[in-house]
Amino acid sequence: MSVFEQIDRVLLTAAIVLVLAAGLLLLVRIWRGPSMLDRAISLDVIAALIIAGLGAKSAVALDSFYFPIMLVLAFLGFTGSVGIARFIAVRDRPQAVTATVPSPAAAPGTGSRPGGDAGSGSGATKEDPK
Amino acid sequence: MNVWLQLLDTAGALLVLVGAAISLLGVIGMLRLPDVLSRSHAATKPQTLGMILVLAGVALRLRSGMDLATLGLIAFFQMLTGPVASHLVARSAYRTGQIDHGELLFDELDEQLTDGK
Repeated sequence: MSVFEQIDRVLLTAAIVLVLAAGLLLLVRIWRGPSMLDRAISLDVIAALIIAGLGAKSAVALDSFYFPIMLVLAFLGFTGSVGIARFIAVRDRPQAVTATVPSPAAAPGTGSRPGGDAGSGSGATKEDPK
Repeated sequence: MNVWLQLLDTAGALLVLVGAAISLLGVIGMLRLPDVLSRSHAATKPQTLGMILVLAGVALRLRSGMDLATLGLIAFFQMLTGPVASHLVARSAYRTGQIDHGELLFDELDEQLTDGK
C-alpha cells in the first residue's frame, strides 16, 4: 500500500518536473521568437501548461482547490493570443518579414499573389478580415 | 477492493506523467520547427492531448462527481477556445506574409485574398 503511494509520488514529481522543463523551454521560444505570432502561440501553450501543472499539483495533493483557476485559464487563455494576432502582429510586420521568411523564397509568392486573382468578388472579401 | 483503488491511483499518476511528457515533446517541437504554421502545429499537442491526458489522470485520482464535472468543463472549454486562437494566429500569419508560399501544397486562401495587407 505504501509502495503504491511512493510510486505515485515519484510519477507525479516526474510529471511536475517535465511540465516545468516545458515551461522553461517555452520561455526560450518567447525570448527569441522571431515574430509576435510565435509569442502568441507560446502564450496559448503556456496557458495549457499552467493548467497541466495545476492538474499535477491537484493530483499530488488530492484536492480540488485549484480547479476554478484551471477553468478560468481554459476559458480566457486564448484572449491574449487573439489580441496579439488581431492588433499587434499587423503592426510589427516589416520587422517580422525580414526576420522570419527568407526573402528570395517569399518574394515570388507575394509577387504572384496580387496578379493571381483579378476576380470581381475579391472586393467584398478584401475588407472584412484584418 | 482496496487494491483496485490503489491501482486506479497509480494509473492516474501514470496518465499525468504521460501527459506531461507529451507536453514537453510538443514544446520541443515548438523550439525546433522553423515556421509559424509548423510551430502552431506543434503547439496543439500540449493544448489538446497532453492536457486531456493530465486531466484524465487527475480524474482517475479524484473520483468524486463534482471534480469530474469540473475537469470535463475544463477540457471542453480548452477544446472550444483552442481552435479559435489557432485559426486567428494562422490567418494573421498568412496575411502578414510570414508563410513561405512555395511550401504549401494547397493554398485556398490565395484565390480569395488579393494582397497580404
